[in-house]
Amino acid sequence: MVLSAETIVIRNADVYPVTGAAMMGVTVILQDGKIAEIGAKLLPPKGARIIEGKGLRVYPGMIDSGTELGLSEVSSTRETVDTGEIGEFMPQLRALSAVNPESEHFGVVRVNGITSVMTYPASGGGGGRGGGGSQHISGQAALIHTDGWTWEDMAVDRSAAMHLIFPSLGGRGGRGGGMAPDAILDMIPGAAGAAGFTAAKRTYDAQVAKIVAFFDEARQYQKERAANAPGFKRDLKLEAMIPVLEGKVPLAVSASRASVIHDAIAFAEKQKVKIVILQPRDIAKVGAELKAKNIPVILGRVLALPDTEDSPYDEAFTQPAEAYKAGVKFAFGTFNNEFVRNLPYQAATAVGFGLPYDEALKAVTINAAQIWGHGNEIGSVEKGKVADLIVTTGDPLEITTQVKYLFIKGKEVPLVNKQTRLYEKYMSRQ
Amino acid sequence: MAFAQSHPAVAIHNAKIVTVSGSVINKGTVVVRNGLIDAVGENVAVPPDAMLVEGEGLTVYPGLIDSLSNWGQAGGASAAAAAGRGGRGTTAAAPAAAAAVTAAPARGPEDRPQTTSWLKIADEVSPTGRGVETARSAGFTSAVTFPTRGIFGGQGAVIDLISGEKGAEMIVASPTGQYIAIGRTGGGGGGGMGGGFPSSLMGYIAYVRQIYLDAEHYKLVKDAYAANPNGMTRPEYDRALEGVLESKRILLPANRLVEIDRMIHLAADLKQPYILYGGREAYRPEAAALLKKANIALLVSMRWPEKNRDADPDDVDSVRTLETRDKAASAPAMLQKAGVKFALYSDGLEASRDLKAAVKKAIDAGLSREDALRALTLSPAEIFGVADRMGSIEKGKIGNLVVTRGDIFENSTKVEMVFVDGRKYVPAPETPAGGRGAATDDPGRNQAEVNQAGVKQ
Repeated sequence: MVLSAETIVIRNADVYPVTGAAMMGVTVILQDGKIAEIGAKLLPPKGARIIEGKGLRVYPGMIDSGTELGLSEVSSTRETVDTGEIGEFMPQLRALSAVNPESEHFGVVRVNGITSVMTYPASGGGGGRGGGGSQHISGQAALIHTDGWTWEDMAVDRSAAMHLIFPSLGGRGGRGGGMAPDAILDMIPGAAGAAGFTAAKRTYDAQVAKIVAFFDEARQYQKERAANAPGFKRDLKLEAMIPVLEGKVPLAVSASRASVIHDAIAFAEKQKVKIVILQPRDIAKVGAELKAKNIPVILGRVLALPDTEDSPYDEAFTQPAEAYKAGVKFAFGTFNNEFVRNLPYQAATAVGFGLPYDEALKAVTINAAQIWGHGNEIGSVEKGKVADLIVTTGDPLEITTQVKYLFIKGKEVPLVNKQTRLYEKYMSRQ
Repeated sequence: MAFAQSHPAVAIHNAKIVTVSGSVINKGTVVVRNGLIDAVGENVAVPPDAMLVEGEGLTVYPGLIDSLSNWGQAGGASAAAAAGRGGRGTTAAAPAAAAAVTAAPARGPEDRPQTTSWLKIADEVSPTGRGVETARSAGFTSAVTFPTRGIFGGQGAVIDLISGEKGAEMIVASPTGQYIAIGRTGGGGGGGMGGGFPSSLMGYIAYVRQIYLDAEHYKLVKDAYAANPNGMTRPEYDRALEGVLESKRILLPANRLVEIDRMIHLAADLKQPYILYGGREAYRPEAAALLKKANIALLVSMRWPEKNRDADPDDVDSVRTLETRDKAASAPAMLQKAGVKFALYSDGLEASRDLKAAVKKAIDAGLSREDALRALTLSPAEIFGVADRMGSIEKGKIGNLVVTRGDIFENSTKVEMVFVDGRKYVPAPETPAGGRGAATDDPGRNQAEVNQAGVKQ
């Protein structure tokens, strides 16, 4: 790990650790990439750079749990999209190895205080989403910092989750892939569940059976590997499944509707693997089950349209509050590369619709860190943790708040990006 | 039975006669001679040469007319496809045929996409065609049958549902109008998926308008040339426009309230006599008011919307869907009350019990039996301009009669015999319940299956 050589002291700032009560007018010392001290009346170490924090606030850097950052630059330009590979089961793929540290997106998201993201391989060979037909396992998602010289440098966890796209039933995808209004379906020949539910269910069952078969195959491989029988042949694909089968790496399961989530949970129980549900809908219907099985979820877009024409207008807005009420652990993901920077406002909208403020803040910081197995390193301002911090003029969930300083692994990252560069360029035009 | 019994004259004696055009004759006689109604009344003498039908306990009605149909056509998709974007149940299209019409994706109106306006169904009907026998067993003696593929499907015909040798014998009147569908009835699928022009609602409407502008100009030039060809470049023959010019009236699809409004506006631009078909939301008072104000006739589909039997159990029907399902069958009663001229059409229903059940549903929703009968006899005849020859039991009209034991729309009622063009048919015994699945097309049923079903008839 390349750590910052510089020691930084943020003085007289209000610290909001997320995991504990706010501390007013205290000093934070960042040393060797870690948070070395937090407290009142600390003496700055010799040679330290001092940042006057009076009137400013210190928060942990935010974490987006659902992106393709670094894999896709301009989604409509094929050459800049490297999100996935063709093939139904591709667990050997690592998103991390394709992350482009020079992506302009990182600079944009940093300005809004996002210091880490989960980046997922998605289906669609080379050409981005939807190019590769049906895919069940798209590969390993990486937890990365939003700054670094190389992808190795950026990695927090090269394999934070295995991405499983659970078959969808009745052609309904995640939020946004939700059911179209009747009026639209009327206009599409063959829509409205063209083949009928019976046929859709048959296809679904067959796909689920395929996934089960793949897991059985991986388990068999695991056994043979352990036995190290003569003639045993290494297979990267099945090898990659071992950490999942051992419960070391969670399965991040894309599943939106309640019945599918229920099936995914049953599947995980049977396979004895850890799962995290991505972009669930109908939290009210599955909340109790998720809570009982202690399964966390990553909530998708909050500012979304209702699913059906009779749904309440705030159906999507209230999902986080529903998750909270059900006692389900959750974090937020933007699931849209262009709008990762809006992560804090996604949480903020949920606050407007019933989610307690503290929970919203946790959902973009410590909850995400814990869900992805790095709660001891990132996600809060605590002594000994990695120094991923933001220094702001106010509440980071508020649009008017400015991030003044951002630190990743104790290193200050300048808050410039393509937009600020263009701004400067055209402002200085004579 | 398919074999008609021919007699020079038939007299139904001592029967109750529902003339539709006049009052009900509680005990009277109808005489049919040479295929025409020769006499009807309380005190009509039975001609000595006539085959006598003892009518005690029987009721005689005019033969029912299906006002928009595909009966008599060989195979083919149901006229349901016709109703266009009316609802999920009716979106089943006829892509194969439409594709044949436009082999290459059309780029503009010049290509005349999905247009077979010159096609006359009168040239295509067959006594062994779809639905002839089953519909006749249900009391239908006539149908207004239309080619329904593409945007300009072609010209319809009023046919009698006889079992004869030649299709030509069936034709009562032709052509009876141009069938127009608006919506994604075929082609290469809409939404800019490379299916060619038109693929959007605005495209369809623009195309239909352009055709009528072209037709108007075409006629002008043609007439000028006919009057004095010397020194004038001859206008190029355009069969699509010829077909349009031949059509006396147009049928435009309108299921939802917004569509009724839209079509009334479009028709004003087209300057053509027109009829609307579909009417799924005609139960709305606003819809009836629009039609009344425009003084426009509506053909109402009797295939009332039903719940998809193979629906996703998690899908909750929208209030709008539920409301339409609940109220669609009250459209005829609403139209009657508002004084709008309307007729009912089978829209793919063929089995006797399904047709009866459909009419019964409208009656249960407030339509009087008399009005229901009229909507299946005299009203369609009036709408299509053939009331001078059919639609009621009057001297001189075609001998199309239904003889029943009991009220025609009662489920328990048996159709004893049917006269078409004076020929007597005894209905085949009804197939046992559940024996036929063709009454309602599955929304997802593909064309191949539809064709197959057509062959099976």
